[in-house]
Amino acid sequence: MTLTSLAFYLFASVSVASAFMVIAARNPVYSVLFLILTFFNSAGLFILMGAEFLALILVVVYVGAVAVLFLFVVMMLDIDFAELSEGFLQYLPIGATVGLILLLELLLVFGASSRLADSNPLPRATPEGMTNAEALGRVLYTDHIYYFQAAGAILLVAMIGAIVLTLVKSNNPRRQNIAEQNARTKEDGVALVDVKPGQGL
Amino acid sequence: MFNDIGLILPELVLFLGAMGLLMLGAFSSKDATRTVDFGAIILLLVAAVLSLTQSQNGYATAFNGAFVVDGFAALMKALTFVATAIAILMSRDFMAREKLARFEFSVLLVLAATGMGMMISANDLIALYMGIELQSLALYVVAAINRDSLRSTESGLKYFVLGALSSGLLLYGASLIYGFSGSIEFAEIAKAFQPVDGQLPIAMTIGLVFLIAGLAFKISAVPFHMWTPDVYEGAPTAVTAFFAAAPKLAGMAIFLRVMLTAFPDAIIAWQQIIIFVSFASMLLGAFAAIGQQNIKRLMAYSSIGHMGFALVGFAAGTQDGVSGVILYMTLYAIMTLGTFACILSMRREGGMVERIDNLAGLSQTRPFMAACLAIMMFSLAGIPPMAGFFGKLFVFRAAIDAGLYGLSILGVLSSVVGAYYYLRIVKIMYIDAPSEDDYQPMPRELSIMAGVMAGFALLFFVYPAPLIELSNGAAAALLNGAGTDVVTGLLSRP
Amino acid sequence: MYHAIVFFPLVGAIIAGLFGRIIGHKRSEQLTSGLLVASAILSCVAFIDVAMNNNPATVNLLSWIHSGTLNIDWVLRIDTLTAVMLVVVNGVSSLVHIYSIGYMSHDPGRSRFFAYLSLFTFMMLMLVTADNFVQLFFGWEGVGLASYLLIGFWFKKPSANAAAMKAFVVNRVGDFGLILGMAAIYFTVGSLQFDEVFAAAGALSEGKFDFLGLTLPTLTTICLLLFMGAMGKSAQFMLHTWLPDAMEGPTPVSALIHAATMVTAGVFLVARCSPLFELSPTASAVVICVGAITAFFAATVGLVQNDIKRVIAYSTCSQLGYMFVALGVGAYQVAMFHLFTHAFFKALLFLGAGSVIHAMQDEQDMRKMGGLRQLVPTTWFMMLIGTLALTGFPLTAGFFSKDAVIEAAYAAHAGPHMFGFVLLVVAALFTSFYSWRLMFMTFYGQPRCSTETLNHVHESPPVMLVPLLVLALGALGAGLVFAGSFIGDGQAAFWGASIFTGPDNHVLHDLHNVPLWVKLSPLVMMMTGFIVAWVMYIRSPEWPAQIAAQHDLLYKFLLNKWYIDELYHLIFVRPVAWLARLFWKGGDGYVIDGFGPNGIAANVLRVTQRFVGLQTGFVYHYAFVMLVGVAGFVSWFMLAGGH
Repeated sequence: MTLTSLAFYLFASVSVASAFMVIAARNPVYSVLFLILTFFNSAGLFILMGAEFLALILVVVYVGAVAVLFLFVVMMLDIDFAELSEGFLQYLPIGATVGLILLLELLLVFGASSRLADSNPLPRATPEGMTNAEALGRVLYTDHIYYFQAAGAILLVAMIGAIVLTLVKSNNPRRQNIAEQNARTKEDGVALVDVKPGQGL
Repeated sequence: MFNDIGLILPELVLFLGAMGLLMLGAFSSKDATRTVDFGAIILLLVAAVLSLTQSQNGYATAFNGAFVVDGFAALMKALTFVATAIAILMSRDFMAREKLARFEFSVLLVLAATGMGMMISANDLIALYMGIELQSLALYVVAAINRDSLRSTESGLKYFVLGALSSGLLLYGASLIYGFSGSIEFAEIAKAFQPVDGQLPIAMTIGLVFLIAGLAFKISAVPFHMWTPDVYEGAPTAVTAFFAAAPKLAGMAIFLRVMLTAFPDAIIAWQQIIIFVSFASMLLGAFAAIGQQNIKRLMAYSSIGHMGFALVGFAAGTQDGVSGVILYMTLYAIMTLGTFACILSMRREGGMVERIDNLAGLSQTRPFMAACLAIMMFSLAGIPPMAGFFGKLFVFRAAIDAGLYGLSILGVLSSVVGAYYYLRIVKIMYIDAPSEDDYQPMPRELSIMAGVMAGFALLFFVYPAPLIELSNGAAAALLNGAGTDVVTGLLSRP
Repeated sequence: MYHAIVFFPLVGAIIAGLFGRIIGHKRSEQLTSGLLVASAILSCVAFIDVAMNNNPATVNLLSWIHSGTLNIDWVLRIDTLTAVMLVVVNGVSSLVHIYSIGYMSHDPGRSRFFAYLSLFTFMMLMLVTADNFVQLFFGWEGVGLASYLLIGFWFKKPSANAAAMKAFVVNRVGDFGLILGMAAIYFTVGSLQFDEVFAAAGALSEGKFDFLGLTLPTLTTICLLLFMGAMGKSAQFMLHTWLPDAMEGPTPVSALIHAATMVTAGVFLVARCSPLFELSPTASAVVICVGAITAFFAATVGLVQNDIKRVIAYSTCSQLGYMFVALGVGAYQVAMFHLFTHAFFKALLFLGAGSVIHAMQDEQDMRKMGGLRQLVPTTWFMMLIGTLALTGFPLTAGFFSKDAVIEAAYAAHAGPHMFGFVLLVVAALFTSFYSWRLMFMTFYGQPRCSTETLNHVHESPPVMLVPLLVLALGALGAGLVFAGSFIGDGQAAFWGASIFTGPDNHVLHDLHNVPLWVKLSPLVMMMTGFIVAWVMYIRSPEWPAQIAAQHDLLYKFLLNKWYIDELYHLIFVRPVAWLARLFWKGGDGYVIDGFGPNGIAANVLRVTQRFVGLQTGFVYHYAFVMLVGVAGFVSWFMLAGGH
């Protein structure tokens, strides 16, 4: 029990600290690396809750794909992030004050509150005698098909949006047509002209 | 399961239709924009009719209580879909002339409408979030659809970042509420969130605050309004016209539903927030609009102010109040679309103009447009007997019946201040001398829209009963949860 | 017939006023004048019918105000008193209309002028035909309005505007009294109907009522308040200051309003209320004193004035004083008679003066006139008749009426009648002097104007001279013809019930039996005045300047009208202006505007600037505002505990 608690607080605090560093780091590459660290810690939290499948998906998708993509983008773009974050630091004190007040209030509230609906216990992450993936698979396409499809719709919109905002349709794309190239003859490509001296073409 | 599909039919039609149109646009050899636009309008109208017919089913839920259909949802969805359809119709000429005509625009709007429908019918926190995100994501994209314009992309980005923040707040609130109540379903939350010894559990109240922050962002109520002026100004005008009407209807609808079905007993808590938000919105809408030179920006503040007025009825928390809000939002959507029909016609030789000064002497150069816009301004200012007056009348009456005298008085006062900038536009159009070259003629669909909306605003007082009746029915359906069939009830009225 | 008399002028006023631009000046003039002449002829018929044949009438027009116990109908009350006024008003008005066609022929605003004149006439008719106090008040204010409009007719002249305003404001002081009087009547009697009020006079005379801790005799209070109104309208001493200034208006206006008709409204009011005044000796005494002082005061000021119209204006003031003395001593008939004759000769004098001014290219200063007799002989002759009548030359109109006033003052028993008598006799001397002074300075001696002006002097056109002629006939003959019925043996039958005289009031009988020296005194005074004037202005024209130099103080005192305007300025105008400025700058400007409309409007912009300033365009500002909002709400619930 103590070990679990220790692990929880470790993951949680590292997660929060690295999340803070994501926005506080001056070098954007560092930011992305901190983001990856955050993901890892979150995955650790999932595992503590018994949701291994989610934890691994998080690592595979976010760390393996999204964050790495971010890293590429950040490295390729020539943006002076230091300049961008200047404003952020300028307003840090007052922002921090407000944030701190909010944090204190929330701590006060949740420290003093207990769960209301004890009669309505939170469901366990995994039902008895079932693996993570199986449990998800049982409900994802049945009970929760509505949410699942809605998420699909959201992704569709995201895809359309990405295309709409970035795809540049060229009016005259130059594509390679190998058959055409192969079918070209000397007569098609070369013309002999007899040029008289002093006249030009 | 089959029954469930029957209940989500309007959204299903929209979603499948949107994908069909997407395919049509993507694979069509020619530019299919006009066909897709037309198809989108048809789809939206079909969905509106479908959702109205659904109210015959009375109260029903689908997908294990994630999705609810009742008279309120039917009416609000129908209004939202029609407003979206009108926005597409009004955008066609504009988008074509601004070289922004792309079939994806209509598809995105249809998908946004799908999201709005899901929002309005949401019956638990996840469905709520899904609907909101589907809608919002589409809106972020269309705000930036003029990707060659710095202002448009900037507005899209701002909207996106702040929208993400508001989603974060909403999710935080939702997780708190789930954590303390043990359920995501509105009905279950309502059961869990009861005052104990006259005291609401403070932790859930804090969750409620975060939830409200997320919802208030969608209807751009102060202090979650900051994105509105920049996005309204930066987005292409046709997009702004859409933003000002349909998403506001949907946002207000889900706001009402969440508060009244999930937190009916926490009214003393959310009422305080709504009162403040309403008051601040009215005040800011009235004062900040005075300083504006850009008519789209002015409409942004106008929209903030009107949300404040609608929230006056909301703050009452009674059936009359809800009915007033529905009526107010309906009239607001009509007036706003009519106004934007005129703004979309502010086109000169060199392109669109957006400054209020550009309207000088419009009554001489384009008398019809000036008359329509003047009627809209009078109506937005709430001057009797225009439609806008009745909206204000109903919400203020509900607030007074609920004992909210201070809010009502402040509301009336800020509507007086607000009248200043509406009437200033009328003054500029009718009194100032025309300065520059003439406007180009109004496109036909815009002039028809402007005329219809102006006629409605002007003549609403002649026969207001049907709309009031519908609002009352929808409000009763929302509050009682009973199967109040608003539409057939109205149609079969002697 | 009575409808026609009353409403013809209104029709004229409406048409000329509203459609003057359309129908043109010429038609406006003809229309209004024609309607007035018709009205005047009908008035004469009415006069014969009502006064001579003793056939009073009341015409019910419509019910006006019925509210609680207050019942007021619009009724025309045509008795002898009204009939006399009808003749005076419509007669003079029609002549003035005709005269104005010539006098105003070069003015661009003629339609407006005639509309105002007709409007005035209508209002005056409303006043004299009133059957209750409210109707009377309507006419009373109506003539005040018309007077204001006409004095300020040349509204581009600042002095005319100032004079118009002064006339209006000073009249308001009197009107204040009149309103209070009416209120007191309604309070005590419960009705404003003349008949009902007069019937209650006996009861009122014994009644008392409390006001602000004072116990006041009802009837005397009412009478004094009503008389205050009369003082304002009739320019009696203390409230006379507007009348000389009113001469800024066109001369026909002065003739009509400020000589013949409106200023006599006060006299009419007191005569109409004879049943009240007859029972209040105190009020009557006040009337005598005020009248006598006015007569004397105005005459003294008239002695030294140099503006031809002002001389006549002070003369009017003085003659009104005569009328009030007659009213005060109970000789209402004599007062009305003097009013009647005075209308003729004073209108004649004014129109004559107008003719002179017209001839002299709008020159009004008598010091720049002289020697006009040969140049404008008809006008001179008319003025001579007017002067004779005014000074009371035997057998002219003034001889009968003015002497009757003086005799009545002697013969009366009530109150300070001897005070009145003495002052009136002295005033008669002054009257004669200033009248002849006017004649001599204007028409005799050497011309003192520039030769250029002199070359342009011409006799007025017939359209101006004919009215003079008609008035001259009146000034000569009115006394002789009507003395018998107005104040002689036929008076009881003539006046009928329109004037009430108490059982102890024998003044009308007694005035015929005064000692011979009393009868002769006005005549002697007139002769003396004439001789002095002749000596000073014909025989040795250098005398006046020497006398003025020797008695510098007295001369200045008179020239400056007893310094009353200055006194008023010091006592009323300056403190009020100071107070007004305080309220304007301090109260309205600073407090109300500062914190009210202007302040809010100014602050709206400030608030707007602030709100707009919030919109910086930075995303993190926006996000910050949102978070502050959330934090604020959370804190609110933390601190307030959800209540």
